[in-house]
Amino acid sequence: MSSSWSKEILAVLRKEIQSEIRGKSGLLNSLLFSVVTVVTVSLSTFGHAISATFGAGMIWVALLFASAVALPRSFTLEEEQGTGDLLRLIARPHAVFWGKALYNLILILIVALVLGGLFLTLVTIKGDKPVVPWLFAVSLLGAGCALAGAVTLCGALVAQAANRSTLAGTISLPLLLPVLFLGVNGTRAGLGDGVLETGLTATVGLLCYGVASLAIGPYLFAEVWKH
Amino acid sequence: MIVAGANGSGKSTMLKIIAGLLPSSEGKVTLPEGDARHTLGYSGLDLNVYPFLTAIEHVRMARDFRGTGENPDELLNRVGLTRAANQRAGEFSTGMRARLKLAIAVQAKPQVLLLDEPSASLDEAGRELVENIVNQQRQRGVCLIATNDPLERRLGSHVLELV
Repeated sequence: MSSSWSKEILAVLRKEIQSEIRGKSGLLNSLLFSVVTVVTVSLSTFGHAISATFGAGMIWVALLFASAVALPRSFTLEEEQGTGDLLRLIARPHAVFWGKALYNLILILIVALVLGGLFLTLVTIKGDKPVVPWLFAVSLLGAGCALAGAVTLCGALVAQAANRSTLAGTISLPLLLPVLFLGVNGTRAGLGDGVLETGLTATVGLLCYGVASLAIGPYLFAEVWKH
Repeated sequence: MIVAGANGSGKSTMLKIIAGLLPSSEGKVTLPEGDARHTLGYSGLDLNVYPFLTAIEHVRMARDFRGTGENPDELLNRVGLTRAANQRAGEFSTGMRARLKLAIAVQAKPQVLLLDEPSASLDEAGRELVENIVNQQRQRGVCLIATNDPLERRLGSHVLELV
């Protein structure tokens, strides 16, 4: 990657982080949602262990909604506040997409870290085997990549549509279903249920999905962005 | 060149089409060869800046994107925003925002400069700034100004009247 590209991508990332720190909207909402979910499950199952499969499903529901709350806003906000045209005049679409995807990846990894840490601390898990911490951590890293890729792509494609909320729901379903399937399998194995190899394969699948959506995304986005 | 015409005649739309912000229903826009981010500058009334970023962050960001352009501090000095360099654009008055948009538009010294009612929210000093920018642009390339303001109309050597 040339220094020009990296400079442009970092400029988008810097802008997003500055806006997030000063505006305090996306990350805070996602973290609150995650904390409330884990604390609610922890209180409702107090004194009882929950199965690793149920735990993995719960983590993924929380991750999915937390990312759905915050991530697509990086694109829709540009159109809502009317800054999309300024970006169109000075930036290349590929740099915009990758910069925003990188920001989304950082955001979702922070949420996944807090969510995973709280979950292991507050909720008692009953699996076939003990928790495999490294696989659990890698599955959350894969979750970050795949969710950042899928949700950035979804946000980028719907941002300029008049009925973007409806469209986002329609587009995100086929994009997120494979992520959910792979993610639940990976996290389940990390929490001690199912076959370790299956979990590892699912996690690698998540990482590949993330890389693929980040590679294809800018080309689709470039078409929508200029027209 | 001045693009004049009654309200709704399509002055702003024409400039946006040239800037690539709107698709044209017919016809073709031919710009000077090269990357439009460097060859074209645009400042319009409905172009917004980032409310959470400061003036200096805006011009630095624009320079990072374009990979070239005037020094951010000198540029802000030229448009009279030195004292507000570290102030967030969300706290700016309409006139200050217009100055910031002008700074971003001329930063890369474009060959084609498109200004949509550039003095609309500016004070007397701001009007002089626009005049200076237009005079400098004459030596560099072309400047299209969409306006009906008689003072701004004096800046152009040709007038294109839209009906």
